[in-house]
Amino acid sequence: MDRKDQIIGIFAKEIRGILQRMEADFDEVQEIRLRVGAPLLLVRKNREYYVDPAGRLRTGPQGVYVVTKEELQETMEYISSYSLYAFEEELRQGFITIQGGHRVGVAGKTVVEDQTVKGMKYISFINVRLSHQIIGCADSVMPYVYENGQVMHTLIVSPPRCGKTTLLRDMIRQLSTGSQKHGGVTVGVVDERSELGACHQGVPQNDLGIRTDILDCCPKAKGMMMLVRTMAPQVIAVDEVGSRQDMEAIEYVMSCGCKLVATVHGNSVGDIKQKPVLGEMVRRQMFERYIVLGGREQAGRVERIFNSRGCQLYSPERIAYGA
Amino acid sequence: MVLKLTGSLLVTCSCGALGLWKAAQWKEHLRMLEQLKKMMLMLRSEILYGHTPLGEALGHVGRKSEGPLGKLFEGAKERAGQQLGEPFCVIWKEEVEKRKKDMLLSEREIQELTGFGEHLGYLDLEMQEHTIALYLEQLDMSIEFYREHEREQSRLYTSLGIMGGLFLSIIMC
Repeated sequence: MDRKDQIIGIFAKEIRGILQRMEADFDEVQEIRLRVGAPLLLVRKNREYYVDPAGRLRTGPQGVYVVTKEELQETMEYISSYSLYAFEEELRQGFITIQGGHRVGVAGKTVVEDQTVKGMKYISFINVRLSHQIIGCADSVMPYVYENGQVMHTLIVSPPRCGKTTLLRDMIRQLSTGSQKHGGVTVGVVDERSELGACHQGVPQNDLGIRTDILDCCPKAKGMMMLVRTMAPQVIAVDEVGSRQDMEAIEYVMSCGCKLVATVHGNSVGDIKQKPVLGEMVRRQMFERYIVLGGREQAGRVERIFNSRGCQLYSPERIAYGA
Repeated sequence: MVLKLTGSLLVTCSCGALGLWKAAQWKEHLRMLEQLKKMMLMLRSEILYGHTPLGEALGHVGRKSEGPLGKLFEGAKERAGQQLGEPFCVIWKEEVEKRKKDMLLSEREIQELTGFGEHLGYLDLEMQEHTIALYLEQLDMSIEFYREHEREQSRLYTSLGIMGGLFLSIIMC
């Protein structure tokens, strides 16, 4: 089953037919959005299009295909492999990862009990985000992640949608598999939102390297502690750290002799210094490398790389994925 | 005279064998219902405790079970995994239809088995529990009936066979 068939297999029969007729290259499609009573939308090359019943992409809303409630229900049935009950935990978090590592975000009426989301019903909005791992996108930063053959504690700082998860994923792969210059190391990944490994029924759909152990859908702080105690990793990788518990776990990991590679939302190292706990860690020079990404117009552009004292190691000659 | 006696003996034996076969069918039917119950209990554990997706759960149970029932579960798993755009109830119904001849189940039991698939996979874990519990209850009633009448039906079919054979022999002679 090729990528296109794998993706369209999750949609209701009518929508499946429309997408099947579509001539656009599925490798360029980033998102497919379904909303009850609203047009079928598709994002391709960062541009949103309407889709008409013949599968043609349109820029205006005239004569486009409108999604029905029944089609949404049918789509949910296929997404969950006829087993919504098996995805209750994922639905609580608002997404399901399907085969191929694609992520299906869902929204509808939440069932709340004691201020906690217990589940979701009347799912009326579906956003299928197609996975795009970019093998080799970390090539330009990898030389800065090592010093004297040792992996450095590294923090990737990036605004949303600038490619930090994609970069981290490839860094994990390269650290784990190793290269001609550096041997591979055991990497433990805490993948709270299944974005790094995109595990489907426990099997990672993205290549995270041959020495990588993944704790899927596990809270970051707990997961880091568990990995240190059980899997003896040399490097621990986590995406989007931020809470106080995360920081405590990071300190624990660092004090145990493991190296840490993490990402955080922010525009610059200065931004990070303003954060309550993380700022303190930056001031204490606990991180040895800062990779700052930028440029929403081109995801994955490395702006700067600093060391723990704030010296710039990498000048801003712009490198972008695939460039 | 010898021919008549031989013919009568053959008719009596054949009818007796027919009776024994019917009695064995009754036992086999009961055995199949008991196997189905065991498979349902396994499916319940897979779904409720393992939170295993339906296709996978059916596959696990099907592989551990023999005969047409094992094939039914594995067939449903196979088709559910093909992503052909069919609701699960349709897949299940068609699989039951395809294999009902080999299953020795009565028309009512086939209907119950088909109905079981109509709500499977729908909504949350509680719904799955209720669907399986309802079907288990129906199965228990059938099993109880077959167990209760096992001895008398076996005797009835065997004696009817032999007596029928004797009756035919007498009439023919």
